[in-house]
Amino acid sequence: MEQNIELLLDNCIDEIRKGKSIDECLADYPQYEDVLKPLLQLAVQIENLPQPNPSSEALSSALINLGKEMERNTAAAEISEAIVPSQRDVLPQKGFAASMKKRKTFSFFSEGSFRNVFRKSKLAWALSTFLFFAVVLSAVTVSANSVPGDILYPLKLATEKVKFFLTFDSYGKAELRLNFSDKRLNELVEVLQQSKTLDTSLLKDMLDEAKLALEENEIPVEKASILTAKLNHVNAYQKTVLENIRPEVQATDRKIVDDAINVCDMRSRWMRRMMNEEYQEQYDEQDTTPQSQTPNRKRHQPKRMQWGEGCDWMR
Amino acid sequence: MKSKAKDLTDEELHQIVEKAKAKDNRALGRLCEHFYSKIYRFIYYRVNSIEDAEDLTSEVCLRVVKSLPEQKGLFYAWIFRIASNMITDYYRRRAVRSNVTSTGDLIEEMVDEKRTTGELLEQQELRQAIKHLTEEQQQVIVLKFIEGYDTDEVADLVGKSAGAVRAIQFRALTVLRNMYVRKDGKS
Repeated sequence: MEQNIELLLDNCIDEIRKGKSIDECLADYPQYEDVLKPLLQLAVQIENLPQPNPSSEALSSALINLGKEMERNTAAAEISEAIVPSQRDVLPQKGFAASMKKRKTFSFFSEGSFRNVFRKSKLAWALSTFLFFAVVLSAVTVSANSVPGDILYPLKLATEKVKFFLTFDSYGKAELRLNFSDKRLNELVEVLQQSKTLDTSLLKDMLDEAKLALEENEIPVEKASILTAKLNHVNAYQKTVLENIRPEVQATDRKIVDDAINVCDMRSRWMRRMMNEEYQEQYDEQDTTPQSQTPNRKRHQPKRMQWGEGCDWMR
Repeated sequence: MKSKAKDLTDEELHQIVEKAKAKDNRALGRLCEHFYSKIYRFIYYRVNSIEDAEDLTSEVCLRVVKSLPEQKGLFYAWIFRIASNMITDYYRRRAVRSNVTSTGDLIEEMVDEKRTTGELLEQQELRQAIKHLTEEQQQVIVLKFIEGYDTDEVADLVGKSAGAVRAIQFRALTVLRNMYVRKDGKS
């Protein structure tokens, strides 16, 4: 019964909405008229209540708050992502923005807000870039003292390759090779002290870098003698260091150290001869060139080294 | 009887909601404009003053913006549920449920609607009577008779079956009628 009345009431409300009067609806259910009629009258009365509408100021105020919230969200997203802001999100939009222009207090789509967001993201971008380079520089600095087996050692080698790649003159490249050769020797000593083992690959790299330094072409003649002198000095130093560490090397590896010392020795002799020949050539040239003539600049053409026997392991 | 004013089709509303979820600010603004009046009326019958209704409606808009990415299911139901929770919080904060409508609100309506004091008092009495209903009765009466939804739509919005909504509607109208009968001294 109750269920039926609830359904009948609902059906009558639907019928009234479609245009029927209360009496027309109740004509089919005279037995329920006493119960349903006052309820339907009340329903009609409620439906006819004037709709309370919010003031335009309240709506504007809500939209202003909404705009500020969206602005905060956009700025936060921009900063967290640290990317240049997508103009799609912050540029003024046609429909809604146009309606907002009438409400002068609304600031979300204003030019100032856009600039503010853009400025924040530029700052975030600059900060991120600075942090990135700071981290990279720190890693590169720390990696300078690394040895094979350390996490940062590959970074050290990569940094050397980049340096070499970014050096364009032959003399600079030759100097870098000498520097790398020196580093390999230091690493070799460090590894030997730490693990009491001879890292033959480091020894090979040390000798190779020194050899490649001398093989650099296109070195101006006035710098060739300087390079030869430096190489001679490095060679002599490496020979001395190798002689000093020899007793610490395991007996099985001493033959290798001896071979390397021999190579250094041969190179030293070869370079001394080179320096003497160059000196002699310069002396002869000065002697035969007329005073008024400027001597032609010659390019350094190194003579091929002859590696001593017993150094096959290094090739 | 008036019918529900539907200025957006379901498809249009769906598109706007999807755009708003994708952080399209224009769509978010349009969504807020569209729902502001509906939410305001829904809240108006359940709080004590116009100012409170406006403040709560603004808070609902902000909550919608913040929670939109997590929104699932029927959008109408979701937004009315947010409003309903805000009203609950409002009463929890106040810990008091006043029945008195401010004189200021009444005068404001007289100026706005250009109606007589007698009419207004009668309408105010009816509104006050609605505010005496239980929370679920208020929801059903406002959605059905103020917002103009049909029974099935109200059922979706409040998360109940159509039968349950019909029962609540019947009880709510009966309670209101009894209030009037008692007031008129007929019982």
